[in-house]
Amino acid sequence: MRNGGDNRGRLLLISLIVTSLLLITLDLRGVQVLDGVRRGTQTVISPFQSVGAKIFRPVGNFFSDVTQLGRTRGEIEKLKTENEELRQNLINRRNADSELAQLKSVLDLAGAARYRVVGAKVISLGSTSSFTQTISIDAGANDGVRENMTVITGLGLVGVVKISYPNSALVQLASDPAFRVGARVAGSQQIGIVSGQGTSKGVLQLLDNQTTLKVGDVILARGSQNNRPFVPGVPIGEVTAVDNAAGAVTQTADVKLFANFATLSVVAVVVGSPKDDPRDALVPKAPIPTPIPTVTVYATPSESPKP
Amino acid sequence: MFARRFFISFPIFALIYLIQESVVSQFRIFGGGFSLFLVFTLLWSALGTPELGALTGFGAGLLMDLSQTTSGPMGQWTLIMILAGFAISYLGYGDDNFRGNPISLVVIVAIAVPITRLAYLVIGLMFGSELGSTLQVSISLLASALWTIAFVPLLMPFVTRIHSTLFEEKSRG
Repeated sequence: MRNGGDNRGRLLLISLIVTSLLLITLDLRGVQVLDGVRRGTQTVISPFQSVGAKIFRPVGNFFSDVTQLGRTRGEIEKLKTENEELRQNLINRRNADSELAQLKSVLDLAGAARYRVVGAKVISLGSTSSFTQTISIDAGANDGVRENMTVITGLGLVGVVKISYPNSALVQLASDPAFRVGARVAGSQQIGIVSGQGTSKGVLQLLDNQTTLKVGDVILARGSQNNRPFVPGVPIGEVTAVDNAAGAVTQTADVKLFANFATLSVVAVVVGSPKDDPRDALVPKAPIPTPIPTVTVYATPSESPKP
Repeated sequence: MFARRFFISFPIFALIYLIQESVVSQFRIFGGGFSLFLVFTLLWSALGTPELGALTGFGAGLLMDLSQTTSGPMGQWTLIMILAGFAISYLGYGDDNFRGNPISLVVIVAIAVPITRLAYLVIGLMFGSELGSTLQVSISLLASALWTIAFVPLLMPFVTRIHSTLFEEKSRG
């Protein structure tokens, strides 16, 4: 009886193994029936899986988060670092855009006057402890920058190169109290001297007592011998107030300098200029006023209700 | 008798299989987690005769082969589970001290689970499956043993009770 039971057991075991090997063989030979069975099972189970996912996935995620707490924290740190880098890149990009705009502007101005210029970035501002107003630029003697060369931006005159080092240069700003530049009034060609005042404003003193100034006059650089320190025609500023004091020998005026010294980042050093004076070609064009549409509303009284 | 027992236990296996596929598979825990169905099958087989263990393994293996997540050919799990079911029941067959001791059941199932998975891997390699990272495989096998040690004590009271309820009463009747 026991032998018979053992034989039956062995036979069962062998039959099962042979069946499984048969299944493997059929599957490896690509019998479609077995694929159909597997697909059918999955079709039956998938609704249960969907329900299970809805109910248990949040719990599963919780366990996953708990077991991967260290990794999650590491990932957060990594993302924070990446975020910081991206933010820095964005700031750099904005900075680059701003510099690009300034460079384009200065090249436009230089192109209009046919100046040969060397572009430079402002690498440091002058000492705040002293009263001089200077900047350092990253172009120097190796780039052709020499002392007493005019420095401009897209808006106009910035200053003059005072000291030229091999790879950098010190520029005295037009706002420096010691700065002086020969100037002329665009249009009337009156001549005078603009001096810095330590602010964004300068003072123009005319040399001729027979001429008069008016608010809005544009002041240009008169130019120097051999174009050093100043090339002619560079816009300096605009007259904002005229001093008509009685008894004064010559007329003086406040001049709002065109260059914005607070936001200087890219400048150009004029290393060569054409023989002919650009005259008033660089005078900034007056802004065209944008028409503001007006709407007229006529009030029409409504009919009074009849009693 | 084998066929009757097989068909009696089939709904239970189907239910556990459904739980495995729709609930347990939602949890992503360390080392790839554990297979409730595999643990249940091996525990169930350990409580029966070798022939019944092989038959249980056959049915369970068929269901595992039908799982969407199975990468091997149809019948691979069936073959492994027949051998695993037979072997685990053969080890404790006739030794009441072994079967009556919960610790020995926990230990043997905890050993059987990674061995079964390793056998599946080896046979899979013969059929041309990819092994992947050896370290990852080792971690997964070790983790499955640890998870089994953790869960079998919780699972065992239910399994033994259901097993005895179904088969002892039926055999008495």
